[in-house]
Amino acid sequence: MTTAKIDTNEVLVDCQNVWKIFGKSAPAAMNAVVQQGLTKSQILQDYSCVVGVSDVSLQVRRGEIFCIMGLSGSGKSTLIRLLNKLITPSSGKVLVKGKDLSSLNPAQLREVRARHIGMVFQSVALLPNRTVLENTAFGLEVQGVGKAERYQVAERALAKVGLSEWTQRYPSELSGGMQQRVGLARAITADPEVILMDEPFSALDPLIRRQLQDEFRQLTKELGKSAVFITHDLDEAIRIGDRIAIMKDGAIIQVGTAEDIVLNPADDYVAEFVAGISRLHLVKAHSVMTPVEPFKAANPTCDISRLIKTTPGADINELIGLTMKSERDALAVIDNGNVVGIITPRDLLRGVQGIPNEFAAAGAATVLEPSA
Amino acid sequence: MNTPDFSSQFDEAIDAGLSWLSDHGEVLFDAANAVLSGVYKGVLWCLALPPYYVLALIIALIGWRAIGARFAVIAGLALVFCALIGLWPETVSTLALVLTATLLALVVAIPLGVVAGLAPAFDRVVDPCLDLVQTMPPYIYLLPAIALLGYGPATALLATFIVALPPALRLTSLGIRMTPRHFIELGEASGVTGLQMFFKIRLPFAMPSIMAGVNQSLMMAFGMVVIAGIVGSGGLGESIYGAVRTLDIAKSINAAIAIVILTMILDRLAQSAARSRMGESQ
Repeated sequence: MTTAKIDTNEVLVDCQNVWKIFGKSAPAAMNAVVQQGLTKSQILQDYSCVVGVSDVSLQVRRGEIFCIMGLSGSGKSTLIRLLNKLITPSSGKVLVKGKDLSSLNPAQLREVRARHIGMVFQSVALLPNRTVLENTAFGLEVQGVGKAERYQVAERALAKVGLSEWTQRYPSELSGGMQQRVGLARAITADPEVILMDEPFSALDPLIRRQLQDEFRQLTKELGKSAVFITHDLDEAIRIGDRIAIMKDGAIIQVGTAEDIVLNPADDYVAEFVAGISRLHLVKAHSVMTPVEPFKAANPTCDISRLIKTTPGADINELIGLTMKSERDALAVIDNGNVVGIITPRDLLRGVQGIPNEFAAAGAATVLEPSA
Repeated sequence: MNTPDFSSQFDEAIDAGLSWLSDHGEVLFDAANAVLSGVYKGVLWCLALPPYYVLALIIALIGWRAIGARFAVIAGLALVFCALIGLWPETVSTLALVLTATLLALVVAIPLGVVAGLAPAFDRVVDPCLDLVQTMPPYIYLLPAIALLGYGPATALLATFIVALPPALRLTSLGIRMTPRHFIELGEASGVTGLQMFFKIRLPFAMPSIMAGVNQSLMMAFGMVVIAGIVGSGGLGESIYGAVRTLDIAKSINAAIAIVILTMILDRLAQSAARSRMGESQ
């Protein structure tokens, strides 16, 4: 995998205090927000403008899959279109690879869209009068790449999504899942660093959807691409995302890893969302383990060196399996050769409920790095 | 107020207006006349060049390629029938009139339709004009045309041109405007230029609508060319007009049969062209 080589700290997309207000008197409404701090409903009442995105800041790093989760009307589709300036922000800045999109002239903006930021749509948007191959090569075609070369690159991309046999077919001959694969192939053909995914799998049936989610994650990691992935489905966000942002009423209310959001929801809204999510594969040993000292104090007779060993990244499901095999009621969590904590059955039950260990709570909240 | 007095004054005013127009716009109208009859004569010369069975064969072959063997046979035989009833020169000149008027109308209508589709402001100006043109009975256009261009094919062509213009313009504009939103986004997100957006995305989606417009313009032109028989257009329209005036029922029915044959052949061909474009984009 090439993921090891890339600099995961490089920020590719930097969104700084971005607002989008829709409506005839949007500039006046924007002023009112800045000067008087009006709320969304006041803006609607006084200016009859709709706040689409409200004061959003986020950073997408190289190689990271960043999910934006929100229900319909939460502004997530508007937000993703601000990232490649399909929609111009009312206020705030969007930087792509350090370049402020609003400072670019039309030709430079086309260049950024063509080479650095790809996009995949919920509706797929395959041109019906073109074959799969011609659709896939579209991005290179508009850049003026020659026919032989662009078809070669497009064929490679189609092979990656498993559609080598279908290059000469028309989109209408393909199933929904296959069409979306073509959409993905089209996005990677232009070889952008960032791919914007606007609810790409929402219209597919559950089985195909899960399959595509896994394929997408694998492919993105293999190619070392970053992705911003919009979804209204928390399960999908958890399956795919390295980090997840939860959006409500145009604002981001929490950003973090799936584990972080499940264990430490920022407010009742998020808590309600994550209530139904199974913790078995989400919660990891490091969030629920009991530190060594308190464990020793409580169990002076236990010989820690003879416990079954596990890693901080092992999930609850794995830990339960190990505990069942173990003769003792505890597991040792080893990191860099040192015992960093102990997993007791009590810790496991707490993990299943999604309550972080009282000792580990402070630690878990700081784990925001992508766990690629 | 004395009504007869007013009415004759009004007539005089209109007369004076028209003669002022034809005096001062003489160059313009002569030029229009020259262009219209020039193109018409060219097209007519081409169509009249081969003997009737060759032209019938060519049209049958086109029909065979575009639609099928059965249509080809029927169309070929029907055209030969037109020749056998002694109306071949009239049939050819009607065909030339229709093709010329439609061609000229499309040359103007499609570019204007594209502009109207892309610029809503222009569309708002054009739309009421087209409404006006389409609301009036087509017959009306013969009057100013005959006043300014005189008796003959040029007048028929001008009136036919005016009638054939709106459908193609309207449907082109509609097609260009109706590009699905997410395909516009696809284009923008892929970094297309304005021209690429037009030729690679908007135009393919507009094609079925434009072809439907072409077909409708053709049919409107056909209707008008027959009416234009009364201003000396020549062709089948004039045959019918002459036959009706002399109560020569048999001849007028013959001409009507020829018109029906020609209309059906052209309509089927134009429709199949439109459909094949649509099939491509499905």
